[in-house]
This record gives sequence, structure tokens and C-alpha cells, in this order.
Amino acid sequence: MTIIARLEHWREHGAISPEQQIHLAGLCRGEPFSLFLELNILLYAGVLTFVAGLGWTVTTWSQQIGDVVVLAVLSAILGACFWYCFSRAPVWSAAETTAPSSILDYVLYLGSLVWCIELAYLENRLHVLSGQGDLYLLATTVFFFFLAYRFDNRFVLSLALSSLAGWFGLTISHWPSHQDAAYRQYALLYCVLVGVGGLLLQRRGLKAHFFGTYLNIVANVLFWALLSGVFDRQTYGLWFLALLIACGASLAWGLTRLQFAFVAYAAVYGYIGVSSMLLRSVTDDTAVLSYFVVTAIAMLVLLVQIARRFGRPA
Amino acid sequence: MRLYSASSEETLRARRLLKDWAGDGILTQAQYQRLERETVSELRTTNVFLRLILFLFTLIGVGGATALFFVTSRPSEHTSGVFFLIFAAICYVAAEAVASQARLYRYGIEEALAVCSGIFLCVGMQLALFSGRPYSPKPDEVQSFVPAAGVIFSLWIWRRFGLWYAFLAAMIFTMVLPGYWTSSHSAQHVTIALLYAIGLILVATVRPRHRFDYLADAYSLVEAFLWLGIYLAMNLQLSWLNLREQWLGIHTATAAEFAPPFYWTTWVLIWGLPPLVLARGIRQKDRFVIAAGAIVAILTLVSNKPYLGWPRHTWDPMLLGILLSGIALFVRRWLDRGPGGIRHGFTAARLSGKDKEWMNTGSVVLGLVAPQSITAGQQKRSADFEFGGGTSGGGGASGKF
Repeated sequence: MTIIARLEHWREHGAISPEQQIHLAGLCRGEPFSLFLELNILLYAGVLTFVAGLGWTVTTWSQQIGDVVVLAVLSAILGACFWYCFSRAPVWSAAETTAPSSILDYVLYLGSLVWCIELAYLENRLHVLSGQGDLYLLATTVFFFFLAYRFDNRFVLSLALSSLAGWFGLTISHWPSHQDAAYRQYALLYCVLVGVGGLLLQRRGLKAHFFGTYLNIVANVLFWALLSGVFDRQTYGLWFLALLIACGASLAWGLTRLQFAFVAYAAVYGYIGVSSMLLRSVTDDTAVLSYFVVTAIAMLVLLVQIARRFGRPA
Repeated sequence: MRLYSASSEETLRARRLLKDWAGDGILTQAQYQRLERETVSELRTTNVFLRLILFLFTLIGVGGATALFFVTSRPSEHTSGVFFLIFAAICYVAAEAVASQARLYRYGIEEALAVCSGIFLCVGMQLALFSGRPYSPKPDEVQSFVPAAGVIFSLWIWRRFGLWYAFLAAMIFTMVLPGYWTSSHSAQHVTIALLYAIGLILVATVRPRHRFDYLADAYSLVEAFLWLGIYLAMNLQLSWLNLREQWLGIHTATAAEFAPPFYWTTWVLIWGLPPLVLARGIRQKDRFVIAAGAIVAILTLVSNKPYLGWPRHTWDPMLLGILLSGIALFVRRWLDRGPGGIRHGFTAARLSGKDKEWMNTGSVVLGLVAPQSITAGQQKRSADFEFGGGTSGGGGASGKF
């Protein structure tokens, strides 16, 4: 029985009203057919392509065009974008808000990316900050967080989070030695900062729907940092313990909240870490392959049990 | 022919739709619970994340077991081929068994087993039938037996298990086939396009019967793939044949090597196909075909200059960006101004909560990935000017600007 026939059947048996049946049958037949997603993707692709071309043109032709013209054009685009956004934004609310038009999200995204180009141009061409690139990156991060929260925009929130990660990376790149270990510690610090920050903002009800974004980014950065520690042949002990704890926490979170991405993180990152530990001194091919066969079967049994108990389709 | 009954798949589809409608508030919770009880399916499904990791660990297990066998027994190449064929049969039987006995549906396990059976079949046939044959740059029709088997088996897996990527695998095997039959690049392009066109005609013939049933999306996706395939086979500047040869570092066909009539015919075709695909997608209200039409239209704009031998300019992407955004804005406004925001059965409004979920997920992922992809490696033409660091605002958290 097709869904159209089912709707008819449900209406006849009083499970749904005639109005619901007409509406739902229309949705199934594509009447009307929504182009919402397609138009948004087209807008996003347009913004991204435009900014790519802008960056390329500025870099290639800056000497011929001249700094003043380049900066004037970039500032004009920037000003126009932010004027548009601020003049059309609805009153700020701590709860999730919908933009008055979805164009606003993309204009804001365009403005944010042009801001990146202009700052990079200023620093690299005119050396305004005398090589203190991390300062403008930090300022950019703060600015993007402000924009993301002001306009309820996940694109810009992602930019803010990656800018913050960039700031940590740039700061540490000035350090002369022990790069890996220092990067790892800064990655953990980043996780703590973003995780705690996201949690506090969620608890205070400030755009609580952003919390999922924070959590996914923190989980991935954390697991990468812990795995890099486990791969270190000198000081892997504590990192391995931390990895196990993180996997346990991720698994528990995923199962209690039914967010199975976290179950997947725990399974994949945990498997890589444990395998790296157990196989690091094993050189025999047969033993290594036997390990993969046995552990893969064990993981399958475990995951099937999880899937049966918790894993509803999503 | 299909492993799962039509009623089971229809029931699963109904359950998914009910969940979406309840999430969108079209159905009340009480209605949802009642209707959910009426749409119980015997098939076992799981969510996308568990499906992915079940797929991954099945691959690890099967791959490990196979490798273990060959490491311990170390057979000759020819014997290995025979063993691969045996493993292919075992994997296929296992896939059938878990799907039919345990009623697993898009569960990762049966999918990975089916994929492994396809890989083992091709590797096994190659080793069993053609091991030890000296390499020859000339086409060898006999060796096309392996990719041909790959095409047939992939199509079988697609039909039997309903796995969309098996159809994609069949298309990839098809792209390899003409290389065994002829060394003429023009003939290879035409053959691939013809084979895809035959597939398209067959799909277009079958589709009307499944307009609103559970197979509608599957056929829609397949048609979109075939349109894309025909386009890519015809676009000599983007062709997979060229990319493969560039990657392998062997002789690359340049535009000058094609006969001018053929070259310019393909140029006409790459301009003719996008409106055709878009028109069909819009007429059928087919999301995947519309997407395929949009993609081929953008690819035509991107590859037009190389086709004509014109130099690219740094501002070309800007113009393309303005064009794409302009089209999106124009279409949105035009639709919004229609009565009730609808024109000719189309609307720019969001009708499903799924769209918003996609947007949210996409915005996070693309927001993190896209700035790096914009800034990396684009600016390389200025000799004495370099944006160092490129770390501005996530606009490339690392690397040179």
C-alpha cells in the first residue's frame, strides 16, 4: 500500500482529519514542491565562490590596483553587508530566532568572510599589527562570536570556533620547541574553554540550541588531541587513560541523549587508540590480523546490542 | 528480485514520513502514536551513525579475515584468485542471510558484506583469469570481462539490496569498459555516454510506475547519476578519462587531439544538456534531477573558457558567485510574489523540518570546512606578495593565505 493509499485509509478510519489527509497527500505528491533547500545551497555556493574570487583577485592584483582601492572596495562590501544585517535584524532574543529573510544569513556570512580577507590584507600588506597576527585573530574570534549570537547564525559560529582554534594554533606556533606536546595541551585547553563556555551559555539559556555545535567540535578536537598523545611512544600512559575516560563519557552521553554521533566517536576513536596501544609492540602479521578479526567481531556484537536497544533510525 | 517485500519497504517509508510529520507538528502526538502502531515493520533498521560504524567494523572484520587467510596460506596468484572468488561467494551468501534471516535493512553489516563480495569478485576474476599476463598498452577486449562482471554484479546488488552506491559503482565500472575496447579517446567518450544513455532510457521507462511509491527516490537518484554521467562523459575538459590519465601520469588526451567536429559537438552538448536536465527535473518535480541540472549548469560555466581556449581570470569566480546568488534571489522573490507564495506548484518556503535539520548540519560542517578551502592554494600567481599565516577568522586557521 503506497503512502497515498495509506493516508486515504487512515482518513476513512478517522485516524486523521480530511484536511490533514489533503495536506499530507499534497506533500507526498510535491504539491507544492519546496525549493527551500536548493535555493539556500545556491546562495551559499554563490557567496563562497564570490569570496574565493575576491581573495584571489585581491592577492593577484593588489600591486596593480593599489592598496587604497583594494581596501576601499573591501570596506565598501563589508560596510554594505553589516549595514544590511544590522538594519534588518529582528530584536535580539536569547532563544532561537528565525531571520526575517534567509538572505540575511548569507549576507552576514559574506561580510564575515570579507572581514577575514580585509584583516589578512591589512596585516600582510601594511603590517598594521607588526606581525602580531594572533591579536587580530583573537579580535576576529570575539567579533564572530558576537555576530553569531546577535544574528543566531551557525555559519558564523563555526567561523568563530575555527578562528579560536586558529588563535591557539598561531599562538603556539611562536614557540620554539616541543610543538606536538604543546599543541596537544592547547587543544585540551581549547576543548575546556569551548566546552565550558558552551555549557555555561546553554545553562543561561543564551542560544541554547548552539550547544550541539560546541559539543561536536569539542568532542572531535578532544579525541584527536588524546589520540595524538596515545601515539606518542614516550608519554602515552596518561593520554590513554584520558582517552578511555573520554570514550566512556562520549558513549554515556550518546546513549542517554540518543545522540548516536557520540557513540560513533567513542567506538571509532576508542578502537584506534586501544588498537594502537595493543599492537605497538606486535610485529607478527598473523597476530595483527587475528587481532583485527577478533576485535571487529567483538565490536560488531557490542554495537548490534546497542543498536537493538537504543538505535532507532534517525 | 528485491530482497525485501514492497509492503515492508512501504511500511518503513510510512513510518519515516509519520515521524517527520509529527516532528513538523502536522500530526498530533496521539495520532502519531496510533499510526505508528499501525505501521510496524519486521525489518530491523538503525540510525545513520550506527549504520556507518557497523559498516566500518564489518569491513575491518572481513578484510582482516581475508588477509589472515592469505598471510597464513600464501597461495599462488592464480590460486589466490580462486580463493577470492570463494570469499566473494561466502560474503554474498552471508549478506543474503543476514538480510533475509535477521531482517537487517540498511544496517551496515549486510551492506559491507555485499560490498566485499563485489570487490572480491573483481579481484578474484582478475587474478584467476589474467594473472601473469604481460602488460600491454593496447586495448584487450578479453580483460574487459572483469569490469563487465563488476557492472553486472553492482547492478544486481543495487536491485537486490537497494543500495544506491552500488549503482554508482556500476557506473564507475562502466567508465572503465571502453578503455579495453578501443584506444580512441573520442570513441571511449561516446561509448560511455551511449551506455549511460541506454541506462537513462530504461530508468525513464520504468519510473512512471513508481511515481509515488517507495522506489520513487531510488529511481530519481539513479536518473540524476545517469544525467551527471552523460554530462561528464561529454565534457572533454572535465572528463574522468582525462583526470585518470593525468593522475596515472600516462598519456593525456588534449583538446587538440580530438577531431574538431567531435570537439565542438561536445561543446554544444555541454551547453544543451543543462537546460534539458533542469527542464526535466522541474517538470517531474524531481529533487535529485534538479540538483543534477544545477550541477551540470555550473560545470558548463566553469569549463567553458578552457573549452574555448580562453584564459581564466581571477575574477571569474566572483562573477560566477554573483550569478549564482542572483539566480537564487530572483527565483526566491519570484516564487514569494506568487499567490500564497506558490507559482506553478513551486514554493521557496520551507515545508519540512528535515530541510532545517539539513541546513543546520550543513552550516556547521561547511562553516568549518569552507573557509579553509577558499583560502588554501588559490593565491599563487603573485611573485613578491604573499599573505602569510592566512589565519584570519577561521578563514583558514592554518597555512598560507
